[in-house]
Amino acid sequence: MVMSAVDSTFFTLNEVATVIWQAADGKTPLSAIVADRICPTFDVEPDVATRDAEQFVEQLSQHGILKVSDHPFEDVASGPVEAA
Amino acid sequence: MNRSHEISVEIGGLPILLRTHDPSFKEMLADRYAKFLGGSADPRFEFEVDLIPPPTDGEEEDAHVEVRERNWYLKRGDFRAHWDPDARRGTIRQSANPYSLDSVLRIVHTLVLAREGGFLLHAASAIRNGRAFLFSGVSGAGKTTISSLIPQDATLLTDEISYIRRGATGYEACGTPFAGELARVGENQAAPIAGLYFLAKGPENKLEQVATADAVRSLMRNILFFAEDVELVNLIFQAACEFVERVPVRRLTFFPDERVWGLIR
Repeated sequence: MVMSAVDSTFFTLNEVATVIWQAADGKTPLSAIVADRICPTFDVEPDVATRDAEQFVEQLSQHGILKVSDHPFEDVASGPVEAA
Repeated sequence: MNRSHEISVEIGGLPILLRTHDPSFKEMLADRYAKFLGGSADPRFEFEVDLIPPPTDGEEEDAHVEVRERNWYLKRGDFRAHWDPDARRGTIRQSANPYSLDSVLRIVHTLVLAREGGFLLHAASAIRNGRAFLFSGVSGAGKTTISSLIPQDATLLTDEISYIRRGATGYEACGTPFAGELARVGENQAAPIAGLYFLAKGPENKLEQVATADAVRSLMRNILFFAEDVELVNLIFQAACEFVERVPVRRLTFFPDERVWGLIR
């Protein structure tokens, strides 16, 4: 479970979401997380996994829990971040 | 003279007095917790709320809760709080942000409930025909959806954070002011808990039994608890085990329309 420091919203993560959350290091692209961590582990089509992962990341981003960028973050000391 | 303003917020039958020097902040709290205001004559705990400017950095700091010499210290990027349960007093330093106070109140309630066999649960809950039903699950499983489909003869206790307390005869669910995506504050009512449903959306409605170990595991995943305290974490685990022994736990897969409430009984 993760909590937003912006609006105190809670997220209880399923297994796939937990993998994304733990892999979000600010440097690894979301596409690589899906290809390398999600698809080999869970019985899911790449297109479906990508769509679900993007929705999940967007949701966390809206609550200020995850930062999304099209390039790697230089400073990742302040918490989990994700390069899309 | 900089006089103080008081307001008592009573969630789960536990009155907590909040004292501030800012009248507009007090009015904001009165509005936010309107259904949960109690008398200020005999609060269980009192907190001085010291308002400071909003943080300019560090607001992403994780919540941290620890006990030292019987005093609790709560902190996150947007608040710092100290609470002495024996003296029944505490202080909160935060900006005039209602979410910060929500978080402090939740943490205090989790600590109180842990010693009483109860807990806060990431779940929606509602009362129908005098019995309370809890709906939990991972984010996206349907807590908001099933709350939005609530029948007219049912009362929503919360769409986000359920309050479970253990009484002499069993478990009760209480309403909370902690709203989720539905942005609808729950009613300040309580009722005996008749069932806990772990939700999933699907093409048709289906109810399944949940094995005890799975029920405990799922329940623990959704219990709110923030303190780094072995004793209290053990108490929470015991409370979860006892809860699933006494309360029916089922998995509810549902198609999102009002027919799902026909299965809730």
